[in-house]
Amino acid sequence: MAGGITFTAVESTKLATAEIFGKTIAELGAKDKSIVCLSPDLATSTKMIDFFTKYPERFYNVGIAEQNMIGIAAGMAKSGLTVFASCFSVFASLRALDQVHTDICYQNVNVKLIGTHGGTSFGQAGSTHHAIEDIGVIRPLVNMTVIVPADGLETANAVKAAAATPGPFYIRINRGFDNVVYSTSDYGFEVGKAVTMRDGTDITIIACGSCVYQALQAASILDFDYKLKARVINMHTIKPIDRDAVLKAVAETRKIITVEDHTVIGGLGSAVAEVIVEGGKACLLKKLGIPDKWSPIGLHEDLMANHEIDAQGIVKNVLEIMKQDVEKDENWGDEV
Amino acid sequence: MAEEVKITQSDLYAARIFLHAAVPLLKVICESEPKYGDKFKGKSFVFQVSALYADAPGGKLATHFSVEDGVWTTHAGVTHDAPTVEFLFPNLKKLIIFFSGKGMPLPKIKGLSKLGVFVPILLALLRMAGLMQAKDKPEKLEDQIMLCKLYLYLLPNGISQLNKMGHPDVTVVTKTSPDRAYALAIDGYPELQSWIRVKAGKSMSGRGEYKRCKPFLTMKFASPSLALDILMSKADMVDYMGSGKLVVDGAPEFGGTVGGLMFKVAYYAQGTYLDAEK
Amino acid sequence: MALTKQEWVGLEKQAYALRDLCLDTINWAGSGHWGGSSSVADILTLLYYKYAKFDPKNYEDPNRDRVIVSKGHVGVILAPLFALLGLVKKEDLKTFNLTGSKLGIHLDSNKVHGLDASTGSLGHGSSIALGMALAAPLQGRKYKTFLVLGDGECDEGSVWEAAMATSHFKNRGSLDLITIVDRNHNMIDGNTEDVMALEPFEDKWKAFGFETITVNGHDLPALAEALEKAVAGGPKPFCIIADTIKGVGVSFSSGNYKWHYGAFDEAKYTTAKKDLKEYSEQRIAKAEKEGK
Repeated sequence: MAGGITFTAVESTKLATAEIFGKTIAELGAKDKSIVCLSPDLATSTKMIDFFTKYPERFYNVGIAEQNMIGIAAGMAKSGLTVFASCFSVFASLRALDQVHTDICYQNVNVKLIGTHGGTSFGQAGSTHHAIEDIGVIRPLVNMTVIVPADGLETANAVKAAAATPGPFYIRINRGFDNVVYSTSDYGFEVGKAVTMRDGTDITIIACGSCVYQALQAASILDFDYKLKARVINMHTIKPIDRDAVLKAVAETRKIITVEDHTVIGGLGSAVAEVIVEGGKACLLKKLGIPDKWSPIGLHEDLMANHEIDAQGIVKNVLEIMKQDVEKDENWGDEV
Repeated sequence: MAEEVKITQSDLYAARIFLHAAVPLLKVICESEPKYGDKFKGKSFVFQVSALYADAPGGKLATHFSVEDGVWTTHAGVTHDAPTVEFLFPNLKKLIIFFSGKGMPLPKIKGLSKLGVFVPILLALLRMAGLMQAKDKPEKLEDQIMLCKLYLYLLPNGISQLNKMGHPDVTVVTKTSPDRAYALAIDGYPELQSWIRVKAGKSMSGRGEYKRCKPFLTMKFASPSLALDILMSKADMVDYMGSGKLVVDGAPEFGGTVGGLMFKVAYYAQGTYLDAEK
Repeated sequence: MALTKQEWVGLEKQAYALRDLCLDTINWAGSGHWGGSSSVADILTLLYYKYAKFDPKNYEDPNRDRVIVSKGHVGVILAPLFALLGLVKKEDLKTFNLTGSKLGIHLDSNKVHGLDASTGSLGHGSSIALGMALAAPLQGRKYKTFLVLGDGECDEGSVWEAAMATSHFKNRGSLDLITIVDRNHNMIDGNTEDVMALEPFEDKWKAFGFETITVNGHDLPALAEALEKAVAGGPKPFCIIADTIKGVGVSFSSGNYKWHYGAFDEAKYTTAKKDLKEYSEQRIAKAEKEGK
């Protein structure tokens, strides 16, 4: 793939997703002198340290001041720089939202916001540090592209695509290690184009982020144990959403289950629901995610299980939805 | 008077397939081939195929067609009280032997004198029998296409009939099935498609493209001739899949299940069971 | 003296023209933020007509000086300013605030050529200006960034986040950022000291690491002198506290917080135009008399 990311999938299993982001941005920074990185006292946590070590003159630690960071990013971008600003997703989306709205999106400037510790991936930190509303909060912002990569290699692809595409981006990644979904970065990542990971017509599972791996595991279990064929779509770009992929899933499977590490209000599930309703064809939709309540504290894996967005939770919900009718079919006559 | 013949459960399956799925193909012949259909232009009548069966309401099982000004409507499994022309078999077994080509037990024919209607019906029936009862596939492409159409329309319908009758080999598949459709198609012939949809024990069959969603699997034959090789049991399905003559689009491991159901229909429709269960 | 007599007189005339066109625009628009527009008019005049290197004919020049007016609600004086600079059609001022107009209360930098930022959410301009100032050395450029703050918006914490960072980054690269506060003492609900006390205001800036100068914001030579000092630079970032009068130049609005935003009827418009003429002519006469 163009851009020459030099680490391999094998290495990627040893790297936390944020570390892959850090390496990617350091490599991009070598080629493009207009790339600047900003961090609010999180250079270590958000793994921008590689970039800082190599290009200290293009790295700014703004202290614990997310609003200021976003404003600075907008000013720099207005002056022609490509700015990667990284902080915890929860603060990028909520603490600095007004700046993201006005300074970045209204002015339509070239700022790439990297939200780390997405969803409940910093589970032990509790709800102050869980980012469960960020997609819903950022998705409506005009000019903003929203990407939730499934793993490290996809993060690298997303970061490269963001660097190469003018305008605001929000890329949400997790804390720590992600299960490896892709063995190569050459799978045709394209902003706004969903990836069909597995085909099937009984139901479509549309997932993003850490839930893509879980969806694939669930599809395997559904096939092996229940002979159910689930289509799995990695909807890495939440905005602009791949309408064609959703409408195709509606037409071909008529049942969709969305899975995200995010509240069920306003995120991937809502984005998919909007497309379904506008498509005008009946479809059964179940949104898996964090229900409208605060998450417990705990390990990410445990919280995913708790919210039924892990493989077992997806299997359970698929089996339930398979019993439901899309529409009542009273006439079961044969055509003669 | 009805002859004393023991009617088995298999006879009932077969009769159901004939009356609900096979006999209705007469309309397909008349609609597809002007040579036969045009002879009914401007004519209105009722044609019925029936067999006496004491356990049925009214003492017989029947399927009838009402033709209005040359336009055919099929009433599968419905008895008409006063058909214009009727082929009435003294029992179900004879109806089965007649339509499966296992023999020629003549029915009692009502309306023989109405030659303007009777003769074209007989010609159309002979055309259908000529196609479906032949041991080898026809040589002419147009005949192959017609025969494919009859098979493709017969098989999903036949499976659905067996399901509705509660045939255990069929219900074992349908009862636990989520909402799925299985389709048959022939590459390059969009009119040669049919399907069966099953859901939690229910079933329905139809002709043409399955539009509700993408079928769970589609058995797509590479040509009418290759389709007939399989449909007439002249070739092995697995071999054809291996060589690309038959493509299973969707969940390939379910190809065998569908094939099994199709052969179950053939088992009754070709009268094979009559020898097997003697 | 920072201004020659000719400059002073010329700038007084520009300031008059700007306030006068602002009154007209408010009249066309039906209403507007007259109070804060009039108080900031002299600051804008000195920046755009003397201290900011800005060629309206080459408004996209990457080496131009930047001016960030963080108190974005004064679009009703920025639009006339850009009209006088030839970057907005004067005819377009008559559409101000009207449906479909490219001009409204808060200007859109993607619609008004030469406007460096879309402000309006208060307290944002400081960080944007800092970002622009930081970008200059990274790109090998030498432009200056002027930040114009309202005093009321200094209630916003983000102003102080940026102030802290401005001091912190002052000596990294060559940060050339000059802050000017339009200290007109009034906000929507009343005097700044009643609503949320800012004093000791200058001390706050000092504590945040700034070199400060408080100056009469309607005394062009004094304001010019402060700007000369700031432009010359020093080890600390500069903050000029321009002591101004909200709604200055018009009898009924001068110093009256209620004229933060308002509409003129025919009589008020006539009075305002007449008052402003008198006020400005006095200032021009003073320039002609005292200028050297």
